[in-house]
Amino acid sequence: MADNTTEHKWTMIVDLDKCTGCQACVVACSAENNIPTPSEDEILRGRGNQWIRIERYWEGEYPNVKARFLPVFCQQCGNAPCEPVCPVYASYHSEQENLNVQVYNRCVGTRYCGNNCPYRVRIFNYFAPHFDEPLEQQLNPDVTVRSPGVMEKCTFCIQRIRRGRETANAENRPLEDGEVVPACVQACPADALVFGDKYDENSRVAQMVPNERQFKLLEHMGTEPAVYYLKGGETHVGE
Amino acid sequence: MTNITRRNFLKISAAGTATAILAGCSQETERWVTLEPYVRAPEEQLAGVPNYYATTCRQCPAGCGVIVRIMNGRAVKLEGNPEHPVNRGKLCARGQAGLQLLYNPDRVTGAVRQDERGSRKFDSVAWNDAINTIYEQIDAAGSGVGVWLGSTTSGHLVDLFTRFTEAIGAPAPVRYDLYAGFHGYNALQSATGALLDGAGLPTYDLGHADTVFSFGADFLGTWLSSTGYGVEFGRFRSQPFGQRGYLVQFEPKMSITGAKADRWVPLRPGTEALVAQAIARIIADEQLGSAERAERAATLAGDVDVEEAAAACEMPVEGLVELARAFAAADHPLAIPGSAVAGANNAAEAIAAIQALNLIAGTVGQPGGMSVTPALPDAPLAAPPASTFADATALIERMNAGDVKVLLVHGANPAFDLPAGAGFVEALANVDLVVSFNPLVDETSVHADYILPDRVYLEGWGYSVATPAFGGVPVISSQQPVVGPLYDVRSTGDVLLTVARGIPAAAQALPWTDEVAFIKEMITALPTGAAGGQDEEVRWARYLQHGGWWPVEAAAETPAVIAEAAPSVPPTTYQGDEGEYPYHLHLFMSVLLGDGSGANQPWLQSTPDPMTTVSWQTWVEINPATAKELDLEHGDIVEITSPQGAITLPVYVFPAIRPDTVAIPIGQGHHDLGRYAKDRGANPLALVGLETDASGNHLAWSNVRVNIRKTDDKRALPRLESTIETDEEVHIPF
Repeated sequence: MADNTTEHKWTMIVDLDKCTGCQACVVACSAENNIPTPSEDEILRGRGNQWIRIERYWEGEYPNVKARFLPVFCQQCGNAPCEPVCPVYASYHSEQENLNVQVYNRCVGTRYCGNNCPYRVRIFNYFAPHFDEPLEQQLNPDVTVRSPGVMEKCTFCIQRIRRGRETANAENRPLEDGEVVPACVQACPADALVFGDKYDENSRVAQMVPNERQFKLLEHMGTEPAVYYLKGGETHVGE
Repeated sequence: MTNITRRNFLKISAAGTATAILAGCSQETERWVTLEPYVRAPEEQLAGVPNYYATTCRQCPAGCGVIVRIMNGRAVKLEGNPEHPVNRGKLCARGQAGLQLLYNPDRVTGAVRQDERGSRKFDSVAWNDAINTIYEQIDAAGSGVGVWLGSTTSGHLVDLFTRFTEAIGAPAPVRYDLYAGFHGYNALQSATGALLDGAGLPTYDLGHADTVFSFGADFLGTWLSSTGYGVEFGRFRSQPFGQRGYLVQFEPKMSITGAKADRWVPLRPGTEALVAQAIARIIADEQLGSAERAERAATLAGDVDVEEAAAACEMPVEGLVELARAFAAADHPLAIPGSAVAGANNAAEAIAAIQALNLIAGTVGQPGGMSVTPALPDAPLAAPPASTFADATALIERMNAGDVKVLLVHGANPAFDLPAGAGFVEALANVDLVVSFNPLVDETSVHADYILPDRVYLEGWGYSVATPAFGGVPVISSQQPVVGPLYDVRSTGDVLLTVARGIPAAAQALPWTDEVAFIKEMITALPTGAAGGQDEEVRWARYLQHGGWWPVEAAAETPAVIAEAAPSVPPTTYQGDEGEYPYHLHLFMSVLLGDGSGANQPWLQSTPDPMTTVSWQTWVEINPATAKELDLEHGDIVEITSPQGAITLPVYVFPAIRPDTVAIPIGQGHHDLGRYAKDRGANPLALVGLETDASGNHLAWSNVRVNIRKTDDKRALPRLESTIETDEEVHIPF
């Protein structure tokens, strides 16, 4: 009997030495997760965030200047600051997947979770999503289109995880490593993003960490993110 | 389906009852009546279960394979095709956004006629009437037909139009657009052809290289095949035994490739070839690397004074020596000439001087070296590569001379892509009939008499010869309709075949009933590829199923080196007096909008540019020191003037650009092309003149000088990065 009911620890590894900042993941995420397109006006108001964003940091001054890219999305914290503050349990921890999940139809829009998130990856829907006809035909039927007044964030493409597990269950076999990948991982040309179940010790992510280049974002806050970053540039010492 | 009224329904039901009663009298098994639903879903569709089909991306000319996820007849996601040798399962931002071309709200929904050109008043017209008119005019025009295609036009259309023009005695189609011109496909191919025997478009095995010198090639952004090179870059960074490649990027403004480089050299514009020559000279003089390398360098290095070269490119001699040492000592060094080199007025010689480094390395055709896109097997399918700027101007001259009675435009937007001085729009006045096959009303279609919208690539048939190819295999990428056409659009191939039927010479040359018959004949003439299949039908099915044709194994042949002497490179000269126009203009293609055809897709518009994080706008990048000198800050509107024209746009103070250079992305500044693109940003092509290289074949895009003038206006730039430091507007936290 296939054992797909046990816990998973879905984990992402971001190799900053390979991330080229090309934005393929950003558009792939918008397409997969029905994210409304921010208008110029909304971006000017600082509401242009997507579920995944590529932060760009400058270091030094011309001519010894460097640019670094940092893809940031929900860190799927093991000890998530967004969860305990939700008065209606819309933001809670899925024990099976070890993910922070957001129940859209429970959310009442207090925005506490967004306020408490140190990574600034939660996005509030100030307006009803609008798609000029016939652009609504591109919407992914596996994912809801969120209504106004609701918080949303990266889900590690939980719809793909669910679909993958259902397929594996139907075929009476365990879920294989690499069978389920979020849209961003699938698109990434340079293979900078690696995704898998860290509890499966043969998975690629389990093999890649611990790594001498690894770090986590705002690690000192004790949020225990499920996303590992591998330092890039001259800090790469080979592996 | 006919209308079913209540009365009709009752009639049918009554007839059905009668049949059932009659059936009851015969054999028992026939008593069972199958219930037929009123609406029958297509056989392969189940609610909630996706289907996947392979096709080819046409958002740029690279020819990546995509797998389209179809849910109940709707295309909902584009993914890379894991089997495809070009993109190997990956897909860039532009590729992903292809859905928004298919479902674009501003598509032309049927054949339309415009009585007054430029009026933007389109009347719908019956397809047969439109085709008939075009047939009559083409028939009357004889050889006075001009065809203008783009580099994203499907290969089968290029082949069909080529056969058509040949049959009626007209000059071959021009295949020229910004992709072809700006990245210098033709310049790269012809300059490499002077060094290697029978060369196609050069391709670089980045994944196995250890030291890469990129002379302005933004191969991770927009250059030639960004997804293919993105995959290669991933491999470059994690090679066996912990090796990690070393990338040096020479460019006046940091591109995303520059951001990923281990060393970014803000080189003086126009001195790329000089650096390459100096490196070759140093390898020869100091006998660096292996004896063979030093020997080859001695023949190919040319007569360059290293100290003079160092002064001209503003680099210390020691720096050049260090680079030469690194290059000569590497196992698999690689030198790549980029768009700025291909757009210089010494393009051919400069490319040759940079490619000479690859010859010196002696890695041509080997892992980690330069090779050329292999030729297709002997087949009737040709899909000729990009034309030159000279071919494009020749067509404009024919138009001006009144030799073109009918102009057919497909997949290109010359009214937007060419510098205004080329006079394309003015020349249209001398053409009796202008027909555009483009799916949206773009700047060229506005001047057309008829728009006969082709099916967009997710609805249509085609094939694409991937350029450049990777891994030494030639690739013909397959394109098939993955969804039914959304509107009353017709494939241009079928329109052309219909027109050809009435013209005896053309009818003989194009005997196919429809475009699918043509494509099938071309594809099944190929030898069995990696997808397998002996029988013709099986081969065809597998070709469509797996996303194209490519051989199982790479051809082992290495192109022979024919270069015997060093290329002599004439100095780069600039349009515009240095006193009057003190800054170099560095144009680059937007990573998201490409040549500007992506500007009609909201995903691409709203996604931030990786380096500046600006979206929805055009900006000009200015070094902080220059900005201080001119009293400029983020968002100040400036007027950029060149000898050819002027544009106004906001400033982005960019830390990684030379103080004597300003950089502007290409892609915005559309007057048409739908609601998302229209009246947004500025088109920097207005600043480019008509100067070409010595051969007259290639437009000098990168030899322009400009001036900056501050205006009193200011506007906030929509950007993702925090604007708190710059005191602009404080972000709302989430």
